[in-house]
Amino acid sequence: MTSAVSTPGRRKFKGPKFLLALPSIIWYLLFFVVPIVFVVIYSFGTKDTQRLLPVDLSKLTTSNYSEVFGDTFFKTFKATLRIAVVATILCVFIGLPVAYFAAFKVSEKWRALILALVVIPSFTSFLIRTVAWRIPLAPKGEFSRWLIDLGWISDRGIQLLETPTAVQIAIVYNYLGFMILPLFVALDRIDIRMREASKDLGAGRVATFFGVTLPLAGPGIVAGVLLTFIPMCGDYVTATVLGGAKGNMIGSMIASQFSQAQNWPLGSAMAVLMIGAVLVALVAGALIVWIVPWLTRALEPLTQSVRRSMHARRQNHDASTKPGRVRRFEMTRILLAVWTALVLVFMFIPILLVFRHSFNEGSSFSIWSGHTSIKWWGELFDSTATWAVIVRFVVITAIGLVVKRILVAKSHISPRLLGWVGPLGFIVAFVVNGLVSDWFHDIFDFAGIGDAIRNSFLAAFGATVIAVVLGGLSGVALARRPGTWTKIFMATIFLILVTPEIMDAIALVTWFQRISDVPVLGYVFKHGLGPFNGGINKLWVGQSLYASAVVTLIVRARLAGLDESLEEAAADLGATPARAFRQITLPLISSALIAGALLSFTLCLDNAVISTLVSEAGSTTFPVALLGATKSTIKPFWGVGAVMLFAITMGALAFVAVVLRRSGESSSDIAATLAGG
Amino acid sequence: MTEQNKPQQLRMLAPDSFREKLSRRAIFKMGSAAAGLAIVVAACGGDDKGSSTPSTDGGDTTPTDGAALASGDWSRVINAATGTLAMYTWGDYNDPAIVGPLAESSIGISMKVDYFNSNEDLITKLASANGSSGFDIVVPTGPYIPQMIDKGLIQKFDKSLIPNMVNVDPAYLAQEWDPTNDYSVCKNWGTTGYFWDSTVITKDLVTWQDFFDACMNEASGNCSVIDTGPNICGAWFWANGKDWNTTDAADIDACEAFLVDELAQHIKKFDSYPSTALAEGSYALSMAWNGDARQAYQRIEEAGGDPSVWKWALGSPETELWMDNYCIAAGAPNPEAAHSWINWDLIPEVSIQDLSYHGYNTGMKNMSQLISELAPDLVNGEMIFFGDAEVATMRTQEINESIDRLVEILNKMKAKAGA
Repeated sequence: MTSAVSTPGRRKFKGPKFLLALPSIIWYLLFFVVPIVFVVIYSFGTKDTQRLLPVDLSKLTTSNYSEVFGDTFFKTFKATLRIAVVATILCVFIGLPVAYFAAFKVSEKWRALILALVVIPSFTSFLIRTVAWRIPLAPKGEFSRWLIDLGWISDRGIQLLETPTAVQIAIVYNYLGFMILPLFVALDRIDIRMREASKDLGAGRVATFFGVTLPLAGPGIVAGVLLTFIPMCGDYVTATVLGGAKGNMIGSMIASQFSQAQNWPLGSAMAVLMIGAVLVALVAGALIVWIVPWLTRALEPLTQSVRRSMHARRQNHDASTKPGRVRRFEMTRILLAVWTALVLVFMFIPILLVFRHSFNEGSSFSIWSGHTSIKWWGELFDSTATWAVIVRFVVITAIGLVVKRILVAKSHISPRLLGWVGPLGFIVAFVVNGLVSDWFHDIFDFAGIGDAIRNSFLAAFGATVIAVVLGGLSGVALARRPGTWTKIFMATIFLILVTPEIMDAIALVTWFQRISDVPVLGYVFKHGLGPFNGGINKLWVGQSLYASAVVTLIVRARLAGLDESLEEAAADLGATPARAFRQITLPLISSALIAGALLSFTLCLDNAVISTLVSEAGSTTFPVALLGATKSTIKPFWGVGAVMLFAITMGALAFVAVVLRRSGESSSDIAATLAGG
Repeated sequence: MTEQNKPQQLRMLAPDSFREKLSRRAIFKMGSAAAGLAIVVAACGGDDKGSSTPSTDGGDTTPTDGAALASGDWSRVINAATGTLAMYTWGDYNDPAIVGPLAESSIGISMKVDYFNSNEDLITKLASANGSSGFDIVVPTGPYIPQMIDKGLIQKFDKSLIPNMVNVDPAYLAQEWDPTNDYSVCKNWGTTGYFWDSTVITKDLVTWQDFFDACMNEASGNCSVIDTGPNICGAWFWANGKDWNTTDAADIDACEAFLVDELAQHIKKFDSYPSTALAEGSYALSMAWNGDARQAYQRIEEAGGDPSVWKWALGSPETELWMDNYCIAAGAPNPEAAHSWINWDLIPEVSIQDLSYHGYNTGMKNMSQLISELAPDLVNGEMIFFGDAEVATMRTQEINESIDRLVEILNKMKAKAGA
């Protein structure tokens, strides 16, 4: 049909189909494929600590692989997979009721609130939340003492810290949000009529859930599993902070091969095998997902008859006790509400503890001295400079509000324009403060934390911009210009997602060194670009890899759900490809881009592993600095820093939300966007 | 060197060659010397460690309280510098004021500090950045210095910019790894012992063998060891009366057999800084460096525990003597500030303030006199300063071909402990 309508004036897209994805292809070749190939080559080398890069490639061997399959290392492999599988399953079981409750059982307003409460914890530093779990788990902590006083546990206290159980708890906690959101999005898209039809046809609520809702939510579950299981396998922070010797995970073992043991070949072999193990686990998971519906179909006649007889029995039962059903319905809803509340409390426990412990008087973040004090806030901030900055901000914003008042009085100015006065006042305050002093540096007495926060934002912002541009373009290309290239490209994206971060980190660190003599490229990473030093540029590259893969998937998913007729219509009406892209495609994917940007910003802000290896002295980010500090005693001012980082992130997001609303997006759209939809 | 310590004479303490060597930005004049001194005095005005000294502009302040200055023959040269100084060091290893506000007000540089967990981490970081790591000062342990020199990771000092090196006890200069101190100067030294809860382990522990026995019995599953290969292997060599720098394969095999097959399964964590986790109640027995063990007393008290039940023993019959050193990284962006800071840190008052914070001997000469004058309230001094008889049992590590084996043993222990 379409070909019949096409007019001679329609301008055909020329050039190879992957043209739009070309920037990503170059980027991935340069900073992922080639560097990773080197690491794979290292895995066949031998250790030689005499060299600057401690790998001898003159005699290649497979002995590193056989060493990994040796008794001791392989056990850690299995333990890691077990922790990740159990945690993923727990995340599904804990998260599904919450997502179900938010999607079907509450009003619009409550839904937005629940989603916001699920998202907010992930804006606090991942690392400080993990460290905060030490507080309730400590055998001699307050919580432990309460339980002893109550007589619930023995005098030895809670024996969880430095065990695999502690890692299991924290890992479920750390990734739960990444499970709930995709689940919610998937459930929310289910047409309510499908569920009604199921009930009209006589299916019970349980049957509807398992027969209709769950299969339709399948893609959401798959997305959630991918978003949680893969990073869990490579997680190294949680095990390092909480795991002790028994809770060791493969991520930390690989990392220690590269740093402490300086055995790069063995570490590379482990990383390569870990990718393999993750892929095998995913294939096994996919097989189960594929087998279950096949089994149910095979057993259909049997289940049908059982169901029919149960249904008949229930109808008899229902006839006699009609009101019971209503009460049971209410019961389910209450149970779901209680469950959701409990999960949200669980998600906020570490954050509240971080906040409280930033006011700890003692010398260590995780040990509560029993006294509240603003001592560490004082240690961190230079009070005079801080107050000066606050006063400037307040005064200028107040002027903005007064101006707004005056303008309101002169009613001929459009309210739409007036809405911009607030945000504008804030920007002016920002600029004025920046002109008066290097305020962000001056307000901190302990300059390290202030710089770390600033570097975190710089790095995350730059990486997010790169991720959105690359991911947006290649997402469009994937959805709109499929071809043979699609498979190779998707395989690369998938590989980026499953590669453990530590392997990326090593690949990049050695790669940056190799290219340091390449004219332009080498200069950028050695000396930096304009006001940004080389370290920040390296962070952009490192953090953008995973983030751009995520954005690509989101954009592709968004466009795959929309047919191409709009773009075709534009072309038929004579729009150039560039114009059609700008006026049709871009607005279509804008919500996906915003969702992708938010997600990658969060991921980049928390990135610790790649950042630790590639950062330099002048580009230390907050997680890098904090990860360094976790090796000895963490002072309470790290809690203060984390609270600051959280406040600034929330402030920035609120600002973005305000600007978006002023430019016309409805608040519910924004909520949906925040939820990844 | 002159006897006096009045500000007027301070200037004269600098060698004559020194002024020529100063770069244009490093201004050394009367005023700044007096100002710096005033802050040094202010810094030593109390023993409440960790508190930041008010960064007053000391230009018009003069040292009024002579008692806060150590008496005797000391060099107190302060070279001003500018810009940022980046230090890569071990966790929580300097008084935050000394690597923060105090450095800014005294010598005019703003500091950034990052942390590593082992000498290998440090070497990996510097080697993989190949001169563009951006760090100025790094803090390796002595035996690692020769390989860092070989790999070109650290650069030579301009010793004329570190005149305060004369304050260091000659016993801690001219070490085997850097006989002329061209690349390094002692930051502080320490030793290794262990710390235990006497309510869990009631018998008295003395030797490294006692440590292993307790770890495999009363404290099984509640015991931590230091997270470096040489240290944990060293403990076995010391316990068995062997030289911990041995290259004898049979000895190392025996060490591996014991540590991996017998000890590893009893270990709760490989933790180089157990003081916090210990106060949280994670361990009943911890192998620890003396300064960290000393800090544990404070943490236990804060956690509401009873410090008096915790006991410390210096490992015997032999144990370690390690020395960490200030070095300047090759390709350091601000070597001038690096020299200036290292030199400033070697002023006795600054050095003792640091010592009171971390609890390691900073190696100043006439130490006992300095402590009695500058930090008379220092607690648990016996965990910082050791008698001649004890020092005689301490052995310095050598880096030889066995180092890879020792790191490997630790690696295998970790895999075994986690299984």
